[in-house]
Amino acid sequence: MSAQDLVPASAGPLSPTGGGLSRTRFFLSNEFGLILLIAAFVAVFAFTTRGFLSPFNLFSLGRNSAVNIMIGLSMMTVIVTGGLNLAVGAIGVCAAMVCGWMIEVLALPWPLAVLGGLALGAALGFVNGWMVVRTGLHSFIITLATMSIFFGAMIFLTRAESFRAMPEVFSAFGKMKLATYLSPLLLVTLACALLLAWLYRFTVTGREMLAAGANPAAAELSGINVNRAVILCHVLSGVLAGLAALMLVTRNGAAIPSMAGQLGQDWLLPAFLGPVLGGTLLKGGKVSVLGTVLGAFLVTMLTSGLLMLQVGAFWVQTFLGLMLLVAVLLDKARRSYLARRNLA
Amino acid sequence: MLHLSRLSRADWFGPLLATILAILLIQSFSASFLSAYNIEILLLAIAVNALVAYSQMVIIAIGQMNLSVGAIGGLAAISFAGVMEVWGLPAPLALLLALAIGALAGAVNGILIRITGISAFVITLATLSIFKGINLGITEAQPFYGIPESVKSFGASILFGPVPLLVLPTAIVTLLLWLMLRRLPMGRFILAVGSNEHAAALSGISVGTTVVAAHAISGLLAALAGVLVVARLQIGQPSIGDDWLILSFAAPVIGGAILAGGHVSTMATLLGVVIVAIITQALVLFSIDPFLVQVVLGAMILAAVGLNRLRARTPLKGSH
Amino acid sequence: MRKTFNFIAMAGLCSLGAAAAQAADDSQLALVPGGPHPYFAAWEQAGADAVKDLGIAAADYKVPQKWELTQQNQLLESLLSQGYNGFMIFPGDPVGAVSTAEELAENGAQVIAGAGCFKDPSPAAFCLGTDTGNSAYLGTKELLKTLGDGEKRIAHFTGFLVDPNTQLRIDAVNKAAEEGGATVVQVIADIDAPEPAEEKINAYLAAHADEIDGIITTAWVPAVVAANALRKMGDTGIHMVGIDHDEVVLAAIKDGVIDGTMLQNPYGQGYIGAFALDKLRSGCTVKEDAPFASNALTNKFIDSGTAYVDASSVDGYIDAMRAETDKILKDFEATYLTCN
Repeated sequence: MSAQDLVPASAGPLSPTGGGLSRTRFFLSNEFGLILLIAAFVAVFAFTTRGFLSPFNLFSLGRNSAVNIMIGLSMMTVIVTGGLNLAVGAIGVCAAMVCGWMIEVLALPWPLAVLGGLALGAALGFVNGWMVVRTGLHSFIITLATMSIFFGAMIFLTRAESFRAMPEVFSAFGKMKLATYLSPLLLVTLACALLLAWLYRFTVTGREMLAAGANPAAAELSGINVNRAVILCHVLSGVLAGLAALMLVTRNGAAIPSMAGQLGQDWLLPAFLGPVLGGTLLKGGKVSVLGTVLGAFLVTMLTSGLLMLQVGAFWVQTFLGLMLLVAVLLDKARRSYLARRNLA
Repeated sequence: MLHLSRLSRADWFGPLLATILAILLIQSFSASFLSAYNIEILLLAIAVNALVAYSQMVIIAIGQMNLSVGAIGGLAAISFAGVMEVWGLPAPLALLLALAIGALAGAVNGILIRITGISAFVITLATLSIFKGINLGITEAQPFYGIPESVKSFGASILFGPVPLLVLPTAIVTLLLWLMLRRLPMGRFILAVGSNEHAAALSGISVGTTVVAAHAISGLLAALAGVLVVARLQIGQPSIGDDWLILSFAAPVIGGAILAGGHVSTMATLLGVVIVAIITQALVLFSIDPFLVQVVLGAMILAAVGLNRLRARTPLKGSH
Repeated sequence: MRKTFNFIAMAGLCSLGAAAAQAADDSQLALVPGGPHPYFAAWEQAGADAVKDLGIAAADYKVPQKWELTQQNQLLESLLSQGYNGFMIFPGDPVGAVSTAEELAENGAQVIAGAGCFKDPSPAAFCLGTDTGNSAYLGTKELLKTLGDGEKRIAHFTGFLVDPNTQLRIDAVNKAAEEGGATVVQVIADIDAPEPAEEKINAYLAAHADEIDGIITTAWVPAVVAANALRKMGDTGIHMVGIDHDEVVLAAIKDGVIDGTMLQNPYGQGYIGAFALDKLRSGCTVKEDAPFASNALTNKFIDSGTAYVDASSVDGYIDAMRAETDKILKDFEATYLTCN
């Protein structure tokens, strides 16, 4: 992929860096660019629309981005290995449906059902990872097939019926407002993001995942069990996808087979946008948790702002695409400008 | 023996084996599978899906992805139908316009990727949204109905026997693509850029031109597929192309294309399309519970790929 | 298609001039379908006409950019933030959309369901839509009538499996078939998109055309595709009843390719919906003992009308829909609402 030429700028994370250089690094980073863009667009929308900064809109913005960020993180954990997980949506819906089934049919207490849903997410992620490792096929084709299989099995078993008998806590949690603005869902997502950041930065497992993604052969030579790392990444992805789906369950007050669209395809766009805008390389080995969070938030905010601007209903998608393009172009231009000024 | 093992290492060998096996298997269960009308229906599906798969295959060849294949196809399809209904343009002119729009949309993808150096995945994700948005903005999700009789009869007429006329454009494109990838400089450039961009640049190939050209070809093929769908459906549906993405990747990959680039096969991709079409049709023929269709489809794709994989391994072991 | 709706619009205008008297002048209404689909296009005109006739501040047709519950939720949240205070919603999911509707209601907006219903309990005042089960049932009955005596084998082509209406339709068709002594030999679902519909329906007809006597379709796209397929195959002796008023379907009826279609009434839904929302905004309440019908989802259902047209009545199909709309509107307020 043509993202190759970004590698020199970000490689060599272990080289000693002076204060000045690391500050330059920060200004050159995707994360800083995204923060600038978010600030700029907030200003634009606040001045040009009615109700963008209203408490309800800020609340729903936070809640929507909570789910989108979680979906982005789920994809990110697999992108780290240089793979893809097209089955995020299918796994998520399966996890949500199992949770609903355990509550409605088995009449289990909800914390157990939540654990059951996450466990299924992990199990399906494991199936993906195991098949990728055992067959040696690209995860793209494996997850393309399993997406169809998981979703099809779920539809077959549920006959496309929703589980509605969710306990009150669920929808109450989805509608809860902390300090009028804040959805607790956003806090859950941010906690997960912090845990992931800690995983990649400070734990051996996390660094093994990155190494396995950057160069599997070299990682294998240096004693890392690459297969185990890849499977772990897929398991992690499954759990996070399940978590995102459970968040949607609390938001909707029901477990719905169609909540991620046909085959779970509707999650694919948010799943890739977050990590990619955030600077996670599609070929693996480099990750930015903060970038994914900011990227997913930017997309959610752009959608919200465009709806507010009342551009003709059917043109929203065009403008969203254009603004995404402008966003990545601006970011690119800013970085090459800074790079020329500081490093020339 | 040696001859056979060399044959079996060719990309199209595995898919061909799977295709023949599938046909024999289904035919033994359901005699109507190879009936003339059924073959016609199969060929119609293959005619469109093959173009969709080629459109992606050209981009896979340069080691990139084109997520906007369906969006370009849809935009071309509604432009084709729209200019005929609204402006009353004759069909050949409308066809040229639709193909030009497709090629232009593809070229825009290529130019943006080349100029910005941003990954194709991100660029085509953004343009997917833009092209689809333009489509919806123009049509407001309403189909165009004013398709002239000439186009309708083109979509419905028969070349000979059970072979519909719609197969003809696809057959020509298949031949041209095969020729291009095997014999023409442009094909060599595309594959060279796909396998190693820097080496290609060092050996004097203009990487930029090649990338833009590949994307323009991809757009052109997607547009042609969109036009064929209009001829087949006899209406300009705005939702044309919405579900192309998975198929566009599945067929080339089943046909042994390497996603990293530099290695694709036109014939194997075509066979990949044939396998998927046969599977889809078999499920209907055997009256399989509609709720189970997705499961079986996924499992069959895995099986097809697995077979391909097995085929690739065995001769390697034998040669040691 | 616009043109035909303008006719209906004019009819509505004439019959409703009187109703413009007492409207809440701050009513900002939004008519929100589940996603872009030709069925809902009539809502835009209906909203515009309602604004003109009834003196409502706004009755805007707002379409989620994709057929996706999340998109619809976001659009509804955004519209609420922008100050819209009355919503007619086609729930992207009858269960999943309830929680968003509750939030709209908690923020003081009026909510009704249009074309499809929320599952009870929901804050929607009522659901104004086609009784999908009944429509499929009646359509099947009409189809059986055309088949005459002897063996009656029918195939059923329908929409997305994730749409709960699909199961209702499958059940209704089976029930009607059973009563009429027919067998449903095949159900093909998940085909409310042009390409899969084209592929699966043609594949099925290719193999089994001589094994069926009739076709019932209960979704927009399968109706169009099946009508085209029958036209292409020529004289097969297969009878068919379609759904909705797509031009392809109407032309096929006129040419005798298929027998008839079950009309729905989207314009009437939009216009009556805007009328009712405005009334609710201006202080009217739904009567405790209103004569609501019930269906699988809700006990507060109002049938917006469904009508069967065949070759003899297809030219006047606009009148059929207009008649339905006028009939419901005439005593809507007296029947369902208490106004001070």
